[in-house]
Amino acid sequence: MLTVFELALRSMRQNMKHYYLYFFALTFSMSLYFVFTSLQHDQAVQNMTHPSVDFSGGLQIAGVMLIVIIGIFTLSANGIFLRRRSREIGLFQLIGLSKGWVARYLMIENILIGLGALLAAIICGPIISRMFVLILLNLLDLEGIVGISFSVTAAFKTVMVYFLINVITSIQMIQKVYRSTLLDLFQADKRPDLTKPPKAVASAIFALLGLALIGYGYELSGHINKQLFVNALLMLGSIVAGTYLLFRVTIRWCFYLFRKRKDGHLGLTNSLSMAPLMHHTKANANSLTLITLLSAMTITMISMAYSFYYSVEQETRRDLPYDFMFENEQQEALSFQSELEEEGIDVKHHVVEAVLTQGVILDPNDESYKFEESLLWLPAEQLKQTGADVDMPPDGEAILYNAGASLSGDLDKRYPTEIELEQHGQTIKYTLRTVMERNIMNLDASGTQLLVSEATMDKIAEQMAGTPDYQKIHFDTYQVRDKEELAIASALYAKSVSLDRLTEDFYSQYKEVLQMTGMLIFIAAFLGLVFLISTGSILYFKQMTEAEQEKQSFKTLRQLGFDVNMIMKGIIRKQAIVFLLPLSIGLLHSIFAIKASSFMIRSDTMIPASIAMSIYTVIYFVFALFTIGYYRNIVKNAIS
Amino acid sequence: MDQLNIEETVLQARNVHKTYGTKGNTQHVLKGIDLRVTRGEFVGIMGPSGSGKTTLLNVLATIDHQTDGTILIDDEDISKLSNSALSAFRRNKLGFIFQDYNLLDTLTVKENILLPISLSKMSKKKAESEFTALADVFDIKVLAHKYPHELSGGQKQRTAAGRALIHQPSIMFADEPTGALDSKSASSLLDVLEKVNQQRGVTVVMVTHDPVASSYCSRVVFLRDGKIYSELYRGDKTRHAFFNEILDVQAVLGGDHVDRI
Repeated sequence: MLTVFELALRSMRQNMKHYYLYFFALTFSMSLYFVFTSLQHDQAVQNMTHPSVDFSGGLQIAGVMLIVIIGIFTLSANGIFLRRRSREIGLFQLIGLSKGWVARYLMIENILIGLGALLAAIICGPIISRMFVLILLNLLDLEGIVGISFSVTAAFKTVMVYFLINVITSIQMIQKVYRSTLLDLFQADKRPDLTKPPKAVASAIFALLGLALIGYGYELSGHINKQLFVNALLMLGSIVAGTYLLFRVTIRWCFYLFRKRKDGHLGLTNSLSMAPLMHHTKANANSLTLITLLSAMTITMISMAYSFYYSVEQETRRDLPYDFMFENEQQEALSFQSELEEEGIDVKHHVVEAVLTQGVILDPNDESYKFEESLLWLPAEQLKQTGADVDMPPDGEAILYNAGASLSGDLDKRYPTEIELEQHGQTIKYTLRTVMERNIMNLDASGTQLLVSEATMDKIAEQMAGTPDYQKIHFDTYQVRDKEELAIASALYAKSVSLDRLTEDFYSQYKEVLQMTGMLIFIAAFLGLVFLISTGSILYFKQMTEAEQEKQSFKTLRQLGFDVNMIMKGIIRKQAIVFLLPLSIGLLHSIFAIKASSFMIRSDTMIPASIAMSIYTVIYFVFALFTIGYYRNIVKNAIS
Repeated sequence: MDQLNIEETVLQARNVHKTYGTKGNTQHVLKGIDLRVTRGEFVGIMGPSGSGKTTLLNVLATIDHQTDGTILIDDEDISKLSNSALSAFRRNKLGFIFQDYNLLDTLTVKENILLPISLSKMSKKKAESEFTALADVFDIKVLAHKYPHELSGGQKQRTAAGRALIHQPSIMFADEPTGALDSKSASSLLDVLEKVNQQRGVTVVMVTHDPVASSYCSRVVFLRDGKIYSELYRGDKTRHAFFNEILDVQAVLGGDHVDRI
């Protein structure tokens, strides 16, 4: 007599072929979770990073996202496995075993697989985490190797995730066993989801609605930063709903019309691609939607993270055009300069004489706007001498330089405008031509930075002299010629400036942002990898199951005189649809999502985003190749 | 269309042997079969279980390879054909129907029937008229846009027969076509096959264990232990008389259980 347990073990051994990828994907995601939680709880790693970088917070959010994706993945994969085994589930019931027995049998099997993956995850975890730490240190540009100590908390959390997986899948299995009738179980793969022709009017409406929703979401992406929260939710909602309708109705409708027009003359290739896809419209719509959205999310996430990382230097330069700057601190500047000379560091030193006044930048959209602020008038001629790339505004006109301009919104509608200066009861107006999204003096210079010609500045100095808060400002700017020496110069600078003043120099700011974005890309890349492996595996499992079901068709086709290559043509077309459709729609979605979120980043995201997208596409195609290879084997075996 | 008089050979098998298994553990299933089928014949192959009838059909139909001997179909030696030539040969010259129909679940009746000619150069118009003709003969016109799971066994088998004939094959092979059908569906299918055989001159080779089915044939070949045991020609006999003759031979052969009509 075999016990339930022995039977479960035996069937697991037989099913290993189908389980190994599931096992691998489960192990991989659980070990990543273990690694993330280990890093989060490791003091050594946190001590190395800049205090302002919230490393453990980032890892915590990543951990939650990992749990969500592991949940989605196990649900889909388990659903696919249950569907392919429905005949077996039915048979057990047919020979008189109770539903409770069958459910128990399936659950034992699943718990064992999960347990194996859990053990593998905790054993591989420390090895993987060592590798991860190396990559991380490299990204953050930090020295030294830290060994990650085995974290009991992390192991405990991973075990909790394992229990969570088991609860989810067990519920799914109990539902499957108790809810489906024997007839359902036996005809699971024979009965198509929908053979009735779609209702013409309803289909047309929903098909177009799907497209309209996606279009609306895309349109929103153009101006998402007004009312960010509401618009982001609207965009997300309309794109998710639109994508589902696209797969569920629009594509099915197109296929149906195409097939109807063919009137039976479908041809072999379409018979092997379109027909089986239409056969399982409902299941396919769900999984293709899921994969499209996950792909879009992953691509957006890694593209944005990589864009941040990629543009750290550029972004920092926008804030801090000069390596070092002193404002009205000639003494400190001199001593800094002599220390640089002692170290043999070659610098370019330039002096910029500017004027600070009070004034109002009018808002043409809002007449009542009268906010008085400090205005820093910088002479273009002098800036040019420092090597800055600036235009020469005509006399009487100013250009606003503000590195954070796009974050405060309304760029295009606010300019040109006017600046009002109050001088002994009289009002003087200057034209403000436009705004540039960068600074022409380091971020910590006082006042809003306005570029004018030297003559205009002198005129303002003359007019405004004696008004409250009027000030002449002396800037000492330094550019280090050999950027390798920046680290030493930065340390000297920190010593030279008085402690009570908030100072920023290019190098230390660059380092800090690099660490922040390095952490971002680290988390994004590995989350992305898990997402990618999950989506790829779901597609692979699904195709594997379908290939299994189609075996008889391949035998029949062989008898009808079709050979492997003719059949493979149809199968490759099917894979092209199944893999390319979600990928291309996902890519399109992510392009708009990146556009929407690019207000967070001033540099061009084109290059880093394309690099991230290409990498994603390449790895994704590996799964498609695997699937086609698997199919070829099935066809060959079925045929010979 | 009386092609029976022309006596043109469609299929010629000479000394066909088939063994299964490896050295030391071989099973000799076919032990030298000689068979000639002329155009327009309706040949039944009968015999007890294990006599090798399905093996013979598979070998004749190019689905399996003979170990020894030659088989010519339309004067072509099929054992000399390469794999791809064999595929093309099956596609152009042969038609099949099976006990379990082997329809593609994902395709409609019409799509299933038109599938074999999907790679041929037949014009759409010609294919359409050919389909209409066959759908009329097999009475499946109203089912054209239905899927297999919506059909009865008899309707599925008539669809399969339509698919086997759409490309006007030289010869049609049927492996227990009535095996899974109730007697009413079985006789209606056999009626149509007989009609197709007589009116369109389609050559049919059918394996069956059912004497009723073989009583529709123009000739019945009996196998026993991998050899041809005897042959019966229907000639001008009524189907009932032929059926009784078949039963007599079967009684001698033994093996299968026999139903009386």
